[in-house]
Amino acid sequence: MRLETRKLLDKAFSGLGLIAIAVMGIALLLILTPIVWRGSKAFVFKGTIEHRRVMLEQFDRGNPDKFTREYTEITAARAPIYKMMEDFEAETIAQISSMESQMDAKKDRAKELKTAARALKSDGKADEADQLEAEEDRLKDEAKELKSRIKEFKTARTEPYDALHEAIRELLGPMPGQRTPVLLRQQYGQTRWDRTLVKLHEVLYTEEWDYSNADAMGVLVETPRVKQFKGTRLEPFFQYLEEHIEEMMRPKTTFYWQFITDKSKDSHIFGGIWPEVLGTIYLTLGAMIFAIPMGVIAAIYLCEYAKEGRVISFLRICISTLAGVPSIVFGLFGLAFFLNTIQVSDSKSVLAGSLTLSLLVLPTIIRSSEEAILAVPRAYKEAALGLGAGRWHTVMTVILPAALPGILTGIVISMGRAAGETAPIIFTAAVSVGAPLKIWETLSQPTPALPWNIYNLCTEHEAVDEIRHVQYGMVFTLVAIVLLLNLFAILMRARISKKLRG
Amino acid sequence: MSEKANTSLIMSDAASRNQRIANLLGRAFLFLITSLSTFAVFFIFYFILKDAIPFFKLEGFKEFFTTARWYPSGSPAEFGALPIFLGTGLVTLGAILVAVPLGIAASVCLSDLLPFHIRQIVKPVIEILAAIPSVAYGFFALVVFAPLLQNHGGAILSAGVWIVLGPILALIVVVSGDLTLDKLRGKISPKAGAAIVFPILGTLAIALLYSLSSRLSGVEISSGTNALNVSIILGIMALPTVVSVSEDALQAAGRELREGSYALGATRAETIIKTIIPASISGILAAVILGVMRAIGETMVVWMASGNAARIPEPIYNVLQPIRTLTATIAGDMGEADHVTGSSRFHVLFAMAFCLLAFSFIMNLASEIIVKRSRKKLGK
Amino acid sequence: MSEEITLKKIDTFAQRDEVTSPTETHIEAKDFSLYYGDFEAVRKVSMKIPKRKVTAMIGPSGCGKSTLLRSINRMNDLIPSTSASGEMIFDGHNIYARNIDVVTLRARVGMVFQKPNVFPKSIFDNVAYGPRLQGIKNKQELSEIVEQSLRQAAIWDEVKDRLQANALGMSGGQQQRLCIARALAIKPEILLMDEPTSALDPKATAKIEDLIGELRKQYTIIIVTHNMQQAARVSDFTAFMYEGVLIEFGNTKQLFTNPENPQTENYITGRFG
Repeated sequence: MRLETRKLLDKAFSGLGLIAIAVMGIALLLILTPIVWRGSKAFVFKGTIEHRRVMLEQFDRGNPDKFTREYTEITAARAPIYKMMEDFEAETIAQISSMESQMDAKKDRAKELKTAARALKSDGKADEADQLEAEEDRLKDEAKELKSRIKEFKTARTEPYDALHEAIRELLGPMPGQRTPVLLRQQYGQTRWDRTLVKLHEVLYTEEWDYSNADAMGVLVETPRVKQFKGTRLEPFFQYLEEHIEEMMRPKTTFYWQFITDKSKDSHIFGGIWPEVLGTIYLTLGAMIFAIPMGVIAAIYLCEYAKEGRVISFLRICISTLAGVPSIVFGLFGLAFFLNTIQVSDSKSVLAGSLTLSLLVLPTIIRSSEEAILAVPRAYKEAALGLGAGRWHTVMTVILPAALPGILTGIVISMGRAAGETAPIIFTAAVSVGAPLKIWETLSQPTPALPWNIYNLCTEHEAVDEIRHVQYGMVFTLVAIVLLLNLFAILMRARISKKLRG
Repeated sequence: MSEKANTSLIMSDAASRNQRIANLLGRAFLFLITSLSTFAVFFIFYFILKDAIPFFKLEGFKEFFTTARWYPSGSPAEFGALPIFLGTGLVTLGAILVAVPLGIAASVCLSDLLPFHIRQIVKPVIEILAAIPSVAYGFFALVVFAPLLQNHGGAILSAGVWIVLGPILALIVVVSGDLTLDKLRGKISPKAGAAIVFPILGTLAIALLYSLSSRLSGVEISSGTNALNVSIILGIMALPTVVSVSEDALQAAGRELREGSYALGATRAETIIKTIIPASISGILAAVILGVMRAIGETMVVWMASGNAARIPEPIYNVLQPIRTLTATIAGDMGEADHVTGSSRFHVLFAMAFCLLAFSFIMNLASEIIVKRSRKKLGK
Repeated sequence: MSEEITLKKIDTFAQRDEVTSPTETHIEAKDFSLYYGDFEAVRKVSMKIPKRKVTAMIGPSGCGKSTLLRSINRMNDLIPSTSASGEMIFDGHNIYARNIDVVTLRARVGMVFQKPNVFPKSIFDNVAYGPRLQGIKNKQELSEIVEQSLRQAAIWDEVKDRLQANALGMSGGQQQRLCIARALAIKPEILLMDEPTSALDPKATAKIEDLIGELRKQYTIIIVTHNMQQAARVSDFTAFMYEGVLIEFGNTKQLFTNPENPQTENYITGRFG
């Protein structure tokens, strides 16, 4: 090969390496950006009056006087549209009743004619009677036609109106004077401005899928809803609503940090994610309670006591096997052993989940602790022993303190791992809906947890699209917890290596 | 100081015995705690196998491993897990195709190309990639990536072709052009040769790329939750493992080897490809194995974003169709099967778990052996 | 090593009280051998180490002098697959006997290592480490011991204002003197020093050597060094070892000026090693 080509290839090779690194960085960015950006919107967003109403009524938060004042203004702003709807209802009823009275008049007239015809018949004036009967039939037909027209008119009015009514309820909440709906989610309008705009669009337009072209996928067709109400009292309604929506909802930039510490209301339609956060904390700390002593003691034994040999290399193989067991298998094992065999609790529980997670992180803790202990200079050990300290005493007073930052680093990283694992807790600890647990309840009760509920909310929730912000908020919270733990570990490690170098 | 009443060096027999017993007990205690992980491994194998055996007793092996009809809740229930095994294999293969080339290139870059302070920035990136919980990856795959694939599938595929094949084809053009010039040496002047050969090859390559990408840009992906999506995400998840393990292996090859090669006039690329990578091939192999294990054992991503369809894609390499994997089946079906403990439907999940467990055990052992052997070879 | 210091020290050596023959024996090795696996690092050494004198051990690298030193408080136990034969007699007992309390032995035989190995704790806690081991908890008593030990190690004046500071912040020479203070705090009878100045600069070395001169009044000191001038300067008796064998052991002045064994002569005149 020519030298230039070799040089070019060399450069290309370096380029490939750099591309690989860049791809990795870009992948990280691509994954984190939507999570961070949209996740932060669970905390900071434009909240509407309905959000403030939820906060006041459900969480007892905010200034009631101020709210009442604001709400009065908003009721005033909303009044015209409700008025239009009332007018429309009244108009429709009036129209129907006028048509009905027309129909009734015709029916009455027909009846009159009928009696008249009968009278004429009995008088023997058959010709005139026939004339009258023909007239009667015509009127009857007309009445029948009117009846079907009324029916048509009714459906033509009520069906779109009911749909509109429903859409408005979703947007603004129940109408004044309406009976309070049973479901909490139906008691309030849209709490977030972004959702408000989506719902507003749904009020303004009807959507239909057009499957007329069988070869292609269905096409979404949107038609302005105003078309359905042409010529009625609701015709100006839509423009008015669109123009005055801000006055009706009063979007305000809201910093809802209580998203983390609030309970959820009506399965995450309102409120925060505290049960999940608390569950994750319980599970993580629980796993650590079991894994830290076991892991650190094992590391001490392997580093300071064990004589290398068959038993020890067997132990090491077992530890690395444990590290390689797929997490879902841990979950099954937790179910089969902790719950079905030794029955640490009657149902799924935080305890069973913690035990399962502790096995999962045990190898990590053993390995990192071992590394930290081996990094402690031999000289410390010799000095302590030279002063007449026993082996155990040396470990406790000299080696462990010196290895502590390293051990902590490993522990912190495994905490992140335990907090984020889903598969092991599916069968052992996690439920979809639940209240925050008291500490003693962790021994017997299952809990919601961030990783599981992220899965649950984005696959099994009945209103997946409505609560995207909650899902993103949860993912953001979980990722933030895990990354903060890791950041802490990275910084700590940097400090250790600085110390060792300095 | 002799005036001080020194404690005697000799321990009384009782004290000596006590100490020895205390020592022994202490050691035994430590050993016991340490071997807990051994117990855990045995217990895991035992309890998974215990619930897996009834399935094979009830249903036998043949249906499970060789047929393609998976209707565990039907009557009669059918347990043909072949599509599930194939699905697992398909996404694992896909993940490896993503993770291994990228991972090895990145690890080479980390160990031999980047200066120290940049490495200090890149390493945390890898750590963060490794630390992000799998459910967050799954969420990304389901909520962000799947709709993208579904709505802009063709564009993404054709862009992917340019990004992946572009650099490779460019390299091939350079090398093959150079080889052709070597053959033509003496017949025409190298400059004229280059002016003829490179444009021809370049046009060919671009034409190939263009036709491929325009064909792919017409593809419509009916479901964003498919094998391709999962493979890419799993590949990214396996990347950190592959990178860090193979970087260790490359580092272990040592300075002397590199200097020896450079001293003979080799370029950096030649040194790495011809000397360093062969020397650390076993470590790289171990990295690949660990990457496979990470991909095969992953649950949440495949459960959320693979489509969970237990059928064999047609044709089998069609990654745009939904598939189903072992882990996702266990996670998804256990919720329903849990209430019917004792039935085949419950035990079949343990049979699957056992297959996973056995596979990862063998893989793990293989990587251990490979690493140990390579250490011996390097004399460490 | 600067010329000036060397000369000055050699002077001190010349002015020291003449010791011609070993006085009271403090430790005695009888046919003592130590093995690393199959390798015999110390070969059938017999010697009587005199009480309250400084005994230096010299010899080329790998001659077993450090191993022999570390055998005296059984520090070699830490290295896997070591074994010993023969006897090492201290206080009337063979310290390699089964029923020996190694912890007590190490508390009675202090040791200072090649590199200063202070714990990453405060200066006070470093010195108090040993006394605390022996169950002294009273704060008053501890501070007295710490002060006394630091004074003995001639470092009290330098550190008395920052006893709670981390010991890793001290200079190398200070750290080594702190290590000596730490060893003295357990009130040992014997002080083993394994090349205590090899990691220090000449000034710090001089201080340590002065300190050894002071300490020899109260303690039996055994020092391993590969610096022959140092052995000549600080010790009363010198042992020369070669390939695990004790070649010659005797009065320092005599060994340096008039060695009996030609191997010793070759070594001290610099013909090998």
